[in-house]
Amino acid sequence: MLTGRSISGGRAEGKVLKLDEPLSFLGGVNGSTGELSGGRGNVAGRILVFPHGKGSTVGSFTMYDLKVHGKAPAAVVNRSAETIVATGAVISDIPMVDSIDVDLISDGDLAVVDGDAGTLELPEVDMVESVTSALMSAGRVLMLKRPDTATSFPGRWSLVAGKIEPGESAQEAARREIAEETGISVGGPEAFSEPILVRENDRIWKVHPFIFSAEGAEPVLNSENLVFEWADPEALGDVFQVPGTAKVVLDLIGKSGRASKQGY
Amino acid sequence: MHLTREEESVLDGEKGAGAQKAMELVVALGKIYGADSLIDITSAHLSGASYKTIGDGGLKYLEDMAAGGAKVSVMSTLNPVGMDRNRWKEMHIGPDFASKQLRIIELYGSMGVRTTCSCTPYVGGNMPSLGDHIAWAESSALSFANSYIGARTNREGGPGALAAAIVGKTANYGLHLDDNRAPTVVIEADIDGSVFSHSLLGQAVGMAIGGGIPYFRGITPGVEEAKTLAAAMAASGSVAMFHVEDVTPEHGNHDISGLDVISIGKEELRAAYDRLNTSDDVQLIALGCPHLTEKEIREIAAFLKGKVKRKDVEIWFCTSAEIRDRCPEDVAVLEGFGPVLADTCMVVAPIEGAFRNTGTNSAKAGNYLPTLCCQKVMCRDIAALMGAVM
Repeated sequence: MLTGRSISGGRAEGKVLKLDEPLSFLGGVNGSTGELSGGRGNVAGRILVFPHGKGSTVGSFTMYDLKVHGKAPAAVVNRSAETIVATGAVISDIPMVDSIDVDLISDGDLAVVDGDAGTLELPEVDMVESVTSALMSAGRVLMLKRPDTATSFPGRWSLVAGKIEPGESAQEAARREIAEETGISVGGPEAFSEPILVRENDRIWKVHPFIFSAEGAEPVLNSENLVFEWADPEALGDVFQVPGTAKVVLDLIGKSGRASKQGY
Repeated sequence: MHLTREEESVLDGEKGAGAQKAMELVVALGKIYGADSLIDITSAHLSGASYKTIGDGGLKYLEDMAAGGAKVSVMSTLNPVGMDRNRWKEMHIGPDFASKQLRIIELYGSMGVRTTCSCTPYVGGNMPSLGDHIAWAESSALSFANSYIGARTNREGGPGALAAAIVGKTANYGLHLDDNRAPTVVIEADIDGSVFSHSLLGQAVGMAIGGGIPYFRGITPGVEEAKTLAAAMAASGSVAMFHVEDVTPEHGNHDISGLDVISIGKEELRAAYDRLNTSDDVQLIALGCPHLTEKEIREIAAFLKGKVKRKDVEIWFCTSAEIRDRCPEDVAVLEGFGPVLADTCMVVAPIEGAFRNTGTNSAKAGNYLPTLCCQKVMCRDIAALMGAVM
């Protein structure tokens, strides 16, 4: 369940039509047929997901035109609503929710939108609770390389990560995963961050990030990872890492107070 | 957002379906922009009046709103429509367009909207006062109202302004709040005092800053100059408010030290002129974007008296019926050169059916004629435009 903001009331269920670019209804959608320009599909009856609206204010009336012709989307989901699309949704009785991370939604997903509650459910996508931990030594962060055969994020570099088992707290899971994957025994975390959500195929990982001191420790890997490296937190690109890793690490370092101590 | 019990009751449908739908829209827009509450408005000005711009979707929406019993609860005026309701044949418009346009006017009228249709409601009919909260949807008019009058409005869309007119309230955010009315940049203008130079100035400033609230030095615009300046900046950029030192009512309300200063002079005006001009030839000269004021009509009449126009060029003079009726003798002079069209303009009329090259003295029209009307544009001052066809 993803929670955003209610913009226009009503409930709808359908297949997602996902657009990665902002959408102008005027010129972008045929008001009589629902066809998107450029062969991008037809909005009729779909849960239409895109970052935000743009273009002429007349686009609100294009949405009304779609409704009149029975070709309106079943619901609209935006990262950030603006006047044109919000107006079109309200006057056309199309449920609409915004403040949703649209990167978590894929084209073709089955989705249920509750415009009154401001929520979106993806019944065929599992939300998996997990943890990720930044282990710090001498100002560097421990990165592990996953094998190409790993079931999640194969071939990527990650922090020390894994699922939360039933009955376990996030912090317990973090310490268990660290022990299993690196053989390191850590104390309490220096800090934690708000969980982040990452889409991977039919799963959304709800990841709880922690930061621990592992000063001077020597990792001993189990079979879940191939190699390790103590990396410069400032130099983590995002290309070969699990998405969002660099941002999470810097956020954790900031929260732990390490940034000021070590003069970053 | 905090809603009063009365506002909640409207939202719950106790005042009818039309009011409920309107309240839903006002609240949704308020939510998007982080409004804490709704505020009462004293007037509304609605866009979305031309059949050309709103199409069948817009027409059906108005049909449904009117059928739902929606009525405006504050003084509400309407933007120009797609034709003069009596002289549409002279505008090369067909009966199908005309009947749909007349229906749109009728529907707005049935909801209690005044159907004198103009983009300059502030020179007649809808004149807000300093500090009034209003919900206006015509970009040039709302900028004039914010700036020259000191009334307060955001850039409303057509349905949003209609919804605000129905519930008599708008969401309290943006330019309704003091802090958001502060200048964001200082413009040192070095231009002559003509209306056309103010049009080019607006074009140049819109091109330079995009959005924001410019604070002008070096100009002393009257109503006509401020009107064209506002229109140009809202078309070439998204400026919804400006200040003019020692002229506009709120110019002294904010500290402007530390703001960036941009100089606009001959060079910048030339670049604006070059951007606007895409044709040296015209089939139509259309004046009145924004609508001609009484003063402008008198000046044009004085200029044209005794001259003779080339036969292969049409000239349109666009104003509101109200202004037209105030100066019948001057209007009679203009009629010798072309129709004085009421409640419409060259941008919202379907001129693309009859013309390919249009002359205008308006930077606003110069921005919209290529995109909305498929025209190549000759943008000059009135004397130069007329000189080309006499």
